[in-house]
Amino acid sequence: MMDQASQASGWEPKIVAFLCTWCSYAGADLAGVSRLQYGPNIRIIRVPCSGRINPLYILKALQNGADGVLVAGCHPGDCHYISGNLVARRKFALLKSLLSYVGIEEERVQFSWVSASEGGRFAALVAKVIEDVRRVGPAGKLVKPCR
Amino acid sequence: MNDVSRRIREKARELFATGRIDAFLGYEPGSLPLRARPCLIQAGDEDRERRVGGLVWDSFCANNLAVFLPKLFEQDPGARGKAQAPKPRLGMVVKGCDLRSVTALVREKQAPRGNLLLIGVPCAGMVDTGAVEERLAGDEVLSASEGEGGKLLVRARDGRELTLFREEVLQACCRECRFPGPEAVDLLIEGPSRKPAEGVYERIRAFEARTAEERWEAFRREIGKCIRCGACRQACPTCYCKECFAEQTDPRWIGAGTELSDAMIFHLVRIFHQAGRCVECDACLRACPMGVDLRTFRGKIVKEVEELFHYLPGFSLEEAPPLSTFKEGDGEGFITEP
Amino acid sequence: MERGLLKKEDLGRLLAAAQEGGRKVFAPVEGGTGPASGTGPAFAEVQAGRGVVLEYGNPALSAKGIFFPQREALCRFHGERTAEASLPQTPLLVFGARPCDARALTFLDKVFGDRLFRDPYYLARREKALVIGLACGHPGETCLCTSFGGSPAGRQGSDILAFDLGEELLFEAATDKGRELLGEQASLFREAGEAELEARRGIEEKAESALGEHLLRGLEELKEKLDRSFEDPQWERLTRTCLGCGACTYLCPTCHCFDITDEEREGLRLRSWDSCQYPLFTLHASGHNPRVNKKQRMRQRIMHKFSYTVERSGEVFCVGCGRCIRACPVNLDMREILAALARK
Repeated sequence: MMDQASQASGWEPKIVAFLCTWCSYAGADLAGVSRLQYGPNIRIIRVPCSGRINPLYILKALQNGADGVLVAGCHPGDCHYISGNLVARRKFALLKSLLSYVGIEEERVQFSWVSASEGGRFAALVAKVIEDVRRVGPAGKLVKPCR
Repeated sequence: MNDVSRRIREKARELFATGRIDAFLGYEPGSLPLRARPCLIQAGDEDRERRVGGLVWDSFCANNLAVFLPKLFEQDPGARGKAQAPKPRLGMVVKGCDLRSVTALVREKQAPRGNLLLIGVPCAGMVDTGAVEERLAGDEVLSASEGEGGKLLVRARDGRELTLFREEVLQACCRECRFPGPEAVDLLIEGPSRKPAEGVYERIRAFEARTAEERWEAFRREIGKCIRCGACRQACPTCYCKECFAEQTDPRWIGAGTELSDAMIFHLVRIFHQAGRCVECDACLRACPMGVDLRTFRGKIVKEVEELFHYLPGFSLEEAPPLSTFKEGDGEGFITEP
Repeated sequence: MERGLLKKEDLGRLLAAAQEGGRKVFAPVEGGTGPASGTGPAFAEVQAGRGVVLEYGNPALSAKGIFFPQREALCRFHGERTAEASLPQTPLLVFGARPCDARALTFLDKVFGDRLFRDPYYLARREKALVIGLACGHPGETCLCTSFGGSPAGRQGSDILAFDLGEELLFEAATDKGRELLGEQASLFREAGEAELEARRGIEEKAESALGEHLLRGLEELKEKLDRSFEDPQWERLTRTCLGCGACTYLCPTCHCFDITDEEREGLRLRSWDSCQYPLFTLHASGHNPRVNKKQRMRQRIMHKFSYTVERSGEVFCVGCGRCIRACPVNLDMREILAALARK
C-alpha cells in the first residue's frame, strides 16, 4: 500500500502504455483531439498490434521502475491483422495470472480493448489505471535498483 | 536384474544387430548411490556390447532423456540442403513424462518421429535422493538397492542399514504424476506402474490460497537462492533455443548476475516460455544445484494452460500449441473495463 | 598464541569479538536466505557470532564466493563524466572453510594475484582476510583431497585450523595472522592438554584412513597422459551426455572464469561468473565457435584443471571437494573420466 513517504513526497504513478497503431493508439489520439482530460502519468509506446507485445516488454518496464503497465489492443474481431489480438489475449491472460501468483499486485499490469472511435473509453481507462496504481503505491517488487 | 532391464537390453541388441538404429538412448547405473544416469550408445562404439549389457531400468532413472533430442537432430547451419548429415535413427527408452516431452519436441519439429523408435517402460515412480538422505538424518548414503515388495535397502556411511519403502521417498513429480503410462510408443514393455495421481494441482491451489504477501515472500526467498548457472534451462527438454533471451545483449533483457530482479525475471520468463510445453518432469528441479523450489512456481503455468485453454502438452501431434492459436470463447475475465 | 581450546558455546563470542574488531564475519549458517541456503548450511554474513553451525559436510557453495562474488560491480559510471571504482575496505573473517576450500583459495591467489596481473577487487578482500579452516572428521564418499595433494587437516590457505573435538574446538595457528588473533582473544581459550592433542591426531588419522579407501589410483603422470590424449576418441564417448549446465563450474572452488558486462541504465560495469561449459563462452563475434560441441568444452575443463594450470602455476587445480560429482544432473563423474584417460 502507498506509504506516507510517497504520499508526502507527491509521488505520481508512472505508467507505461503499449497501444496498438490501428485501434487503441487512434483512440488515444481521438481523446486528445476531443480535449478529453486524463492524467499525464502514462508514457505511450506504439506497436503495430497488441499481438506484438512480448511479455518481456512488460516485465522490463516493471524492472526499469514503471509503477504500472497498460496494454490496450483492438476489440476481439476488429484486429487490423485479423487475429493478432486474439492470440495476444491468451498470452496476456497467462502473464497476468502468473504475475499475480507470485504476489505482484494485480493492479499493476492491466489489459484492455479500445477501438479507434473510443476516445472517451480511453480516457476513462487511463484514469482508472492511474487510480488503481496510485492505490497500490510505488512499484518495488521487480524493480532493479539503480546504482 | 529385473525383467524390464533384460528386455531393454535384448531389444537394443537386436536393433543394433539388424542395423535398424544408429544410436540407443537409455539408462545405466550411476557412479553414486540412488542414481542411474543417461546412457547414449552409438552403433560404432568399441564397447557397444558391454554398454548395451549395462542398460538398466529401475527407480533411479529420473533423468528426462528427451533433453538430448534437439542436439542429436539439429541441423548444421553451415551445411545447406543436401549437404546436411543424415539424421540418426535413435532407439530410446521412454517413461511417461519422457514420452510427453518427446511428443512435444516432435510437434515443434525438433526431432522427426520417423527417426525415433520409442520403447515405453512401466514407471512406478523415481526415488528422491534428498528424501532418502533426510531419513538418514544427515548421514551419507553409502549404497542402496531395491528389494522385493517396493522396499529400498539403504546402507548409511556409519554402518546403519535401513529398509525404507519406495513410496515414502518418491519424487514429488512422481507422487503427483497424472500420466505414468507411456502410450504412443512403438514397443511397450509391460510391468508394474503407478496409478495416475488424484488431486490435480493441489500444490498450486495450496499456494494460491496464501496471501499475496506470503506468495511474494516465498517467491523472493526461493529465487534468492538462484546463482544463475542455467542448469534448469539446460536440463529442460523443451528449452532448446540457440540463443536464450537471458543471453541476448541487444536488447539486454536481464543482466548476467544474481541481482534478484534479474533472477526473478529469468525464472518468470522461462516459466512463461514453457506454457503448453512443460510436462512437469522436474528435470529443472533436480538439476538445480541450489535446491530452488521451481516446482511450485512452474506448475502454475501448466495449471493455467490446462484450465484456460484445455491443453496439456505431449499428447497430440496435431493440436496447435496453445499460444499460437486462439478460440472465440477464450476468457476475458482479466480485461479491465473502465 | 599457538593453540588453544574453545568451548563450542564460546565460538559466537570469538566471532563477535572479531566483528567488534572491525571485521565482517562469514560462516556457515542454517536456514538463511540467498544462494545455497536451500541445500543445508551455507556461508553467510554472521552478526554478533550468532547462528553458526558446525554440522555439515561441505556447503554446496564454497568460500570462493566470499572473495570472488558471483556478481560484483567493478565500477559505476554516470553519463560520460566519471567512473568510480570502489574496492571493498572491510577486512573479512571466514570461519569454517574445509581444508579443501581453504587450499582452493591459494590457487585462486595464483590466478588473481600473481606475476603480471593483480586483480584489485579479489586482492582487496583476500589480503586483509583471516581464514579459520575447519578440519574434516568425516570425509564424504566423494571426497578426494588426498588424491590431489590435499589433506583433511591441511593448513594451506588457513590462518588458523580448527578441530571439532566434541564439546570443544581446538584452534591451531597456521600463520602469524592466526597467531595474532588467538593471542588477542586468548581469554576465551584454555590450554590444550595431551588428551586433546591425542584426540586431534586421532581425528586426522581416521579421516586420512577413510579417504584412503577411495583414493584415486593411477594418477601418476596424469598431466602427461592427458596431454597425449587430446585427440583420444574416448573424449566424445565420455562427455556425450553432458548438458552444458555449468553447475560443476559454479560449485567448483577453483573455477574462476568470469564475464564483464555493462548495464547502462544502472551505470554499472559488472563482473559475473561465467562457465567454459556454456556454448557462448567461446563464441566469436564472427559466429565461429572454436569449442562448438560438448566434447570440446568438457575436454577443455578437464585439461585446464589437470594440465594447463600445472604449466601456469605448478598446481593441479582440483582440490578434491567432490562437488562437481554430486551436482552433475547426468552423473558425469570426473573420477571416471580421469581413470579412463589415465589408463593409457
